[in-house]
Amino acid sequence: MSFFTRRLAAACLAVMAAVAPAAAQELELTITAPAGAGGGWDAAARSLQEVMMKTGAAKSVQVVNVPGAGGTVGLAQFAQSAKGAPDQLLVGGITMVGAILTNKAPVNLGDVTPIARLTGDPLVVVVPKDSPHQTLADLTAAIKADVANTIWAGGSAGGADHILAALITQAAGADPSKVNYVAYSGGGEALAAMLGGQVTAGISGYGEWQGQIESGDLRALAISYPEPIEGIAAQPLKAQGVDVELVNWRGVFAGPDISDADKQALGAAIEQTVKSPEWQELLKARGWTDYYAPADEFKAFVESENERVHATLKSIGLAE
Amino acid sequence: MDAFIQLLNGFSIAIAPMNLAFAAIGVLLGTAVGVLPGIGPALTVALLLPATFKLDPGGSLIMFAGIYYGGMYGGSTTAILLNTPGEAASVVTALEGNQMARKGRGGPALATAAIGSFVAALIATIGLAFLAPILVKLAVKFGPWDYFGLMLIAFVTVSATFGSSPLRGLTSLGIGLWLGLIGIDQLTGQTRLAFGVPNLFDGIEVTTLAVGLFAIGEALHVASRHMYAPEKPIPIKGSIWMTRADWARSWKPWLRGAAFGFPIGALPAGGAEIPTFLSYTTERKLAKHPEEFGHGAIEGVAGPEAANNASAAGSLVPLLTLGLPTSATAAVMLAGFQQYNIQPGPLLFVQHADLVWGLIASLFIANVMLLVLNLPMVGLWVQLLKIPLPWLYAGILVFATMGTIAANPSVVELLLLSGFGLLGFLMRRYDYPVAPVIVGLILGPMADSQLRRALQMSLGDPMVLLQHPGSAAMIAIAVIALVAPFVFKGLARFRQDED
Amino acid sequence: MVNLPGHSGLHRPTAIIGIGLIAVAAVTWFDARGMSIRASYGVGADAASYFVAAFLAVLGLAHLVTALRPGIVADEADWGAVAWIGLALGGLVGSIWLGLGFILGSTLLFAFTARAFGRRALVADLVIGGLISTGVFLMFNKLLQLALPAGPLERLF
Repeated sequence: MSFFTRRLAAACLAVMAAVAPAAAQELELTITAPAGAGGGWDAAARSLQEVMMKTGAAKSVQVVNVPGAGGTVGLAQFAQSAKGAPDQLLVGGITMVGAILTNKAPVNLGDVTPIARLTGDPLVVVVPKDSPHQTLADLTAAIKADVANTIWAGGSAGGADHILAALITQAAGADPSKVNYVAYSGGGEALAAMLGGQVTAGISGYGEWQGQIESGDLRALAISYPEPIEGIAAQPLKAQGVDVELVNWRGVFAGPDISDADKQALGAAIEQTVKSPEWQELLKARGWTDYYAPADEFKAFVESENERVHATLKSIGLAE
Repeated sequence: MDAFIQLLNGFSIAIAPMNLAFAAIGVLLGTAVGVLPGIGPALTVALLLPATFKLDPGGSLIMFAGIYYGGMYGGSTTAILLNTPGEAASVVTALEGNQMARKGRGGPALATAAIGSFVAALIATIGLAFLAPILVKLAVKFGPWDYFGLMLIAFVTVSATFGSSPLRGLTSLGIGLWLGLIGIDQLTGQTRLAFGVPNLFDGIEVTTLAVGLFAIGEALHVASRHMYAPEKPIPIKGSIWMTRADWARSWKPWLRGAAFGFPIGALPAGGAEIPTFLSYTTERKLAKHPEEFGHGAIEGVAGPEAANNASAAGSLVPLLTLGLPTSATAAVMLAGFQQYNIQPGPLLFVQHADLVWGLIASLFIANVMLLVLNLPMVGLWVQLLKIPLPWLYAGILVFATMGTIAANPSVVELLLLSGFGLLGFLMRRYDYPVAPVIVGLILGPMADSQLRRALQMSLGDPMVLLQHPGSAAMIAIAVIALVAPFVFKGLARFRQDED
Repeated sequence: MVNLPGHSGLHRPTAIIGIGLIAVAAVTWFDARGMSIRASYGVGADAASYFVAAFLAVLGLAHLVTALRPGIVADEADWGAVAWIGLALGGLVGSIWLGLGFILGSTLLFAFTARAFGRRALVADLVIGGLISTGVFLMFNKLLQLALPAGPLERLF
């Protein structure tokens, strides 16, 4: 979607989110979504806004969109404007980890304060319905036999889809730097390449291709989640002998150098939000999977993800 | 005939008084906002999306259909009258349309645009209703090599917009190609020419370039000449309506435009711009008076406008059948569906048959309403040119910059807009054509990524472009179109020498 | 071809454009040389940069050759009017930059542009511009829920 429409759609979504009762809590939050409307981060920010105000975890919540460069424009701006601020949050996720590395961004996630991990969605590995590969084992055997001619389609270079393709290639016993990954502007265009049979396999968020999987136009071979998910027939990579897991996680961060008390208060407000029935309901409606982790656990998780993503991007030549 | 019965069923839904009213409101709103300079259909639909929130899904989608088609109609008005296209797909319309308006023929230009849009949208909507399932199967077969072939044809045809000097035309195109390099490369993640400015990482926005070059560039140019040669647009000279000759010259371009627009619009990466380029070139080649092109040839308005609107209907094919938005406007439409938890895709026609057919029927109704609304409006729009020049251009600049601010209120974006305005002014001053810059920015990155995707899939073997019959045929057409004029010229000279 | 007396053989604007194109080509070339990410299959992102750089360089040289012949003479220009529009755009950019808001910026844009086209009633135009900008702001902010940049004036609503 162009820049143009994204921001406008943001304005539209604001109308939907604006209907929420006032609450007792004193917290007046501003959440930065480092992307335009329509994407996952914007949706996460606006969902948080809705539920925090409904449950009274915050008195008022404003969402600001700062799109650009895989979230790194928003991150850089946030790191400066939210320094020590007790009322500022930033939404981020695994794509930002990759974008920081590939764009050589001056500010990284170590510069902001992790507050909580919120959601984690599975990616899905699919093949066209006429593909000779019936199972994941067929696909990994093909990768091992001829990595160059196993052509993948997915989202932008260095994103979660690309990283998963590299990890599966590695686990199949081939050189990840040889992965033949064709990047498209989004799940939509990659979908056309899949349906046209121009590529071997594709990766995207499960929700994006759900319609084609259910109609039988695409065959889902595996999901990237560590455990099976209710309502999704495809089994995890891990359960099928490919030791790879990758979760498209999203979380929230506060600015640099905030006091321990502020950090605790923000963490408590988020915890109250995600433990509410309203949040669980919203997750279901959006098709998201709960992946909550509190501040300390999230901090360690971000560090390990950073290392893992860095190593993978290095192996495919996208980062130094 | 199943589709036919379904469509009748759709009409029975759309014809309900409430739904008719929604369609009428949508058409009015879409036209009103779409007609503002610098505000194209995508922005129009995005702005008016919230207005539909409170309705039920059926009524809302019907209003949507009205807004969508209304915005498409509105976009051409400012392109013709004020040389200020609100979107890239109207750039070609401005070439001849504004020349006509300057000669006092703004009325016929608007009329041929409106009727052409009606005819093309009608044909394309019929295509959408009956051919969508077949077309989409063909469209997904269109591989990167085929897209590259299509781009080559488009590149060759651009020369039609070059004006008098090939060197100047190619220079304009080169500037566009250069601007297209800026930003993060989609395929590898490599940054090109961004010089570390994060605001440039996502590339140059086509709308910013179009508004800068046309609206601001034009204002600067007219202001700089105002003192020496006050150039006042002529509101009306001769008939405000199309003459018999106008009709005779328009109907074929309408049909040809629709034939370009609908199938290319239905391609997952086709877009609305390429059919307008192709249509313009074709009309120029086929016209009885090609020398009129560049000075207000009505074929050059009729064809591209029809192509533009047919592609808008065409882009609904992948949107409804695959859930795949192929234009900014379609992307906003997708958001509109999703607000009701309706996911367009292969199951949409099965799961929400009433909605889909109601929507398609509403497109027909909105189209008729637009024609009825727009033809009488022609007289009113032409009056716009009676506004005193200082206020007219001041107003254009306010609305044009507002479009950019609304999309992205960053100072960098405004500076780019001003810079493009200065570029547009200098190019006009030294007689460089402006349209090829926009063509370069649109086609350059598309050709680059599609060619590299093709080479990636063939592991670097360039023969892939010739091995697929579709791309081989298109590359052959492009080469012939490029070489033929020289050959003919050479032959003619040869014969002369013989004589 | 005979050069007019008093004119050097060089058509200056064409020569300057030619040098400019070559300079841009050089920048593009160096930018492409600095690219670190390679494509595993097919060609990388630098290929298009090299292509465009070569294309621009050829065009630049063609301009230099053309400059040896007399070219078009640009029309007289009213640089004062151009400067007024520059000021108008500067007013808008400055107003957004300094956080003074959309209404003030657009008002200045309107009034200065009208001045560029020869209007002398700056105060009247400021009022008209202010009314239009306020109307646009209210329409987009209140009716269409689109947040245009807010400054002190906008916060009054």
